[in-house]
Amino acid sequence: MTAQTAAPVPARRSWLTVAWVLMRLSAILLVPLVWVHVVIQDLLIGVHHIDLDYVAMRWASIGWRIYDAGLLCFAFAHGVNGLRQVLEDYIHGRRTRRVIRVLLFGFWLFITMLGAAAVIGGVRS
Amino acid sequence: MLVTLKIKRFDPERNPSSWWSSFTLEADPADRILDLLVRAKDELDGSLTFRRSCGHGICGSCAVRVNGTNKLACKTLVHDIGSKIVLEPLLGLRVEKDLVVDMDPFFASFRSIKPFLINGDPLPANGRERLQSPAERMRFDDTTKCILCAACTTACPVFWADGEYIGPAAIVAAHRFVFDSRDHGAAEHIVALAEAEGIWRCRTAFQCTTACPREIKVTKAIAEVKGAILRGEAR
Repeated sequence: MTAQTAAPVPARRSWLTVAWVLMRLSAILLVPLVWVHVVIQDLLIGVHHIDLDYVAMRWASIGWRIYDAGLLCFAFAHGVNGLRQVLEDYIHGRRTRRVIRVLLFGFWLFITMLGAAAVIGGVRS
Repeated sequence: MLVTLKIKRFDPERNPSSWWSSFTLEADPADRILDLLVRAKDELDGSLTFRRSCGHGICGSCAVRVNGTNKLACKTLVHDIGSKIVLEPLLGLRVEKDLVVDMDPFFASFRSIKPFLINGDPLPANGRERLQSPAERMRFDDTTKCILCAACTTACPVFWADGEYIGPAAIVAAHRFVFDSRDHGAAEHIVALAEAEGIWRCRTAFQCTTACPREIKVTKAIAEVKGAILRGEAR
């Protein structure tokens, strides 16, 4: 009888593997990010009390800016990757899939950069 | 008890569209759905077409949708379903006639993972079998139970939309060899799983596990193969 051993599985990792892992990691990160956001904005503050003074107060803290940029980045990446998965259920052509992936990545990058610039950069008084 | 058997029919030689036929039969609650199908064909409509072979839950021929859920007709009793039984062919595969679907794409996916033991080492000097501990055998015991009925793959919503997805049955077959201590061909088994229509398309919907008539923990097996590919080892 031999002892149980771990058999090697040679690496077959591709960007699909990376996308799958990122989907899981972003989901895990989104649990605290979204819930803290919901509890503060919707329950403690309340959406009707969010005004320019409150936004200015948030913007005054670099910690909240990084937090909001992280929320935007991970939530949007999670959503866009999910959209890619759903579209690829129905679009099977290799070339069309590639075009969609490039377009979605560009869309994600543009919106994330724009949002991050607004959230981290703030507004000039 | 009186049972109504409503069956989705299709015969391209008679009608380009599908239609429904209803048969009313006297049945015992302990009758199997397969018994009713055989009786409907023998006594009421000889053109009714379905697959069957062993009739004992081993060959996997008679998988059909029973009231919206994939089941083996030979393992499902009338009292499990009730007096109104609706039968449809498996989803996601081309219907050839009535309850018979084209299984070729399913078996092509199965073949793509090379479902056989790969070990180039010389045989043991005594000429006997390659030994394995009970613990090593248990590691892949669950996935040896697959009978290739396609109930899992055709219950998968990803497969419904994308018929090129390799599907849970092929991943279960890969699990059976990747986690076998006697097998040295993991690299070859997972080639097809790493491709665009491979294992990363799985959304962990658990439909496969629910559908499996052999009660294989399909989603767990898929997660273990994903983990083996990510970690670079099957443990």
